[in-house]
Amino acid sequence: MEKYLKNLPNTVEKIKALNDIIITNIVLIGQVPAPTFKENRRTNFFLDRLSEAGADECTTDGYRNPISIIRGTDPTKPPIFVAAHMDTPFDADVDHNYTVQKGEIKGAGVLDNSVGLGVLLSMPDILRALELKFESDIVLVGSIQSIGKGNLRGIRHLLKTWKTPIRGAVVVEGGELGRLNCTTDGMIRCEITCHISRTNAFEHTFKPNAILILHEVINQILEIRLPQRPRSRVIIGKISGGFKYGTIAYQSSLGLEIQSDSDKMVKSIYNNIKDIVEGIHHEHHVEMEFKTISNVNASKLPYNHPLVKSSVKVMKALDLTPVSEPSESELSIFLSRKIPAVTLGVTKGNDYHLESSAMEIEPMYKGIAQIIGVMMAIDSGICDE
Amino acid sequence: MNQQHFIDNNTFHFSEFKDLTHLVDAKEERGLTISLCLPTLNEEKTIAKEILIMKSELMTRYPLLDEIVVIDSGSSDNTREIASSYGADVYKADEILPHLPPFKGKGENLWKAQFITKGDIIVYIDADIKNIHHRFAYGLIGPLLLTDTIKYSKAFYDRPIATGKGTMRATGGGRVTELVIRPLFSLFFPDLTLIIQPLSGEYAAYRDILEKIPFPIGYGIETSMILDIYEKWGMEVFGQVDLDRRVHRNQDTKALGKMSFMIQKTFLKRIEKLGLIDIKTEVFDEIIQFAIENDKYQLQSSQIEGYERPPMIQIPEYCDKFNIKPEQDSSE
Repeated sequence: MEKYLKNLPNTVEKIKALNDIIITNIVLIGQVPAPTFKENRRTNFFLDRLSEAGADECTTDGYRNPISIIRGTDPTKPPIFVAAHMDTPFDADVDHNYTVQKGEIKGAGVLDNSVGLGVLLSMPDILRALELKFESDIVLVGSIQSIGKGNLRGIRHLLKTWKTPIRGAVVVEGGELGRLNCTTDGMIRCEITCHISRTNAFEHTFKPNAILILHEVINQILEIRLPQRPRSRVIIGKISGGFKYGTIAYQSSLGLEIQSDSDKMVKSIYNNIKDIVEGIHHEHHVEMEFKTISNVNASKLPYNHPLVKSSVKVMKALDLTPVSEPSESELSIFLSRKIPAVTLGVTKGNDYHLESSAMEIEPMYKGIAQIIGVMMAIDSGICDE
Repeated sequence: MNQQHFIDNNTFHFSEFKDLTHLVDAKEERGLTISLCLPTLNEEKTIAKEILIMKSELMTRYPLLDEIVVIDSGSSDNTREIASSYGADVYKADEILPHLPPFKGKGENLWKAQFITKGDIIVYIDADIKNIHHRFAYGLIGPLLLTDTIKYSKAFYDRPIATGKGTMRATGGGRVTELVIRPLFSLFFPDLTLIIQPLSGEYAAYRDILEKIPFPIGYGIETSMILDIYEKWGMEVFGQVDLDRRVHRNQDTKALGKMSFMIQKTFLKRIEKLGLIDIKTEVFDEIIQFAIENDKYQLQSSQIEGYERPPMIQIPEYCDKFNIKPEQDSSE
């Protein structure tokens, strides 16, 4: 390990020499719209591109996650997964044409997660340029239906149906360079909607207002006592409702996320909120709906796990300072299946989730070297005990 | 010309040429070199992407292009610096053949590109394409390499316009084509109406065709090129390729008016030279347009001179450089 750690900084320049291929891959895949549940075109592009780049096998699983394999030298070794999510929150009619300027690439979804996908698409070229051969097969996965209502369905299906052991995994996210995620919080994401009938129902002396009803829901949620341990919180993230200034709101909706490092606590808070919603439904005689959008279980790779320790060494060898925070995403599904995995960020940027998202080009080369370093660490057997 | 024959044999979809290995083999078999020229004026937002994609796909991965050359009209933004940093050979138009009086315009850049580039085939692609893809180059090169008759290939596409509000309009563009050039071709050269988008800014041609025709310095270049090639070599040398979609900046009606003015002037000059009409009055160099300013109509006039560069083969420096016998101006 010490030997390749020593050589790692030298790989940055070699990766940079492939800048035209890497940037082209980021731009071309990012320009194919892929709203969650409509990733088909991007899936085809992913497979075409990797097949053209010389990957040994390109196919989809039964759920249409695109998968590409770079064959290793030892068929007895389980594969290493490198995964990046395919979908974006942007509709197909949003302008997906990217702008490349000196030092940055701009456009909808570039950080989340065109750059991650671009790195996967460039992997055969990068490994060839670095003259790297792995013992394990490298399985490049573009997971579909990941974000929001996708609820990580793609990666859940892939790992559920993958028959053989997996040696370890690297989840690639666009930003921020320096992140080293190895734990995931338990999480339930829900939507509460209130609907008030437009007809003059007899039971209402005063017509209720859907916005004020949700206001009451929020007030009651805020009264829930949350423990310091296990660490837990409720994030009120989205709210919408009403029609115009002078008319009572007939409809409103609220999006929230319950997070905790204990699944039990997440479930308990979830039940509390469900009770609040039911109570308000009866008290105010309004239609209320409480819907779960997505959920993940809490899982953790201890900070002293060899994969985490090696990842820290790799990052330090590249002068990167690891920042570890809980993360959702594909990581939680790998960890919940007892597959050692970490999430790494490729570069820096801003407006992460906006159409005006921008990524910096220069730090990306270090970000890629870091991913290669962690793949090499897994290939050296650190996760094999 | 038989119209169906042209559609069947000279009209293509870019996907017919997506086997790039086959194109590279054809290029090597014929012993040809290919240059890509990007004419620019303040294109810092789009130039890097064009260069990167073309370089990655058609130089690094498949050696179809031998060089990428940017000819700049004097951008005041960072176009030249960015283009150079991403690996293109960048030239200021004024500094090429500096002893000639300088002009500004796309046609001027394309004309001077012949002097600078080395390729047997030159591909011209506008530098303002937001959805640039390497198909824009290989699609145009394909007919030149895989047929024996086609010497000049022209792009056509569905052209959505970026509205600037982050969403795309389903269709649009091509107004000058449909309102100006198509009616004129229909009146005088019905064969040329087979060219679906005669004003498209993307085309590729063999050098030995380009060097023998004059180049208007401005907007008239596409029109004159088609008319001159048609007159000298006929319809058989034309190919056209569907490049799918092209997203570009929208131009306001006034800018299109100026473009139309220049195109019509070029057209009239050509058909008069061919003896098809006799214009018995002076043709002016000024277009008059109106604007409302402070609730008053304001007259705006723009001077648009129709200067043309002679065929490059008449320029001694060019003939020296490419070791060819100079050709005299036959129109004198």
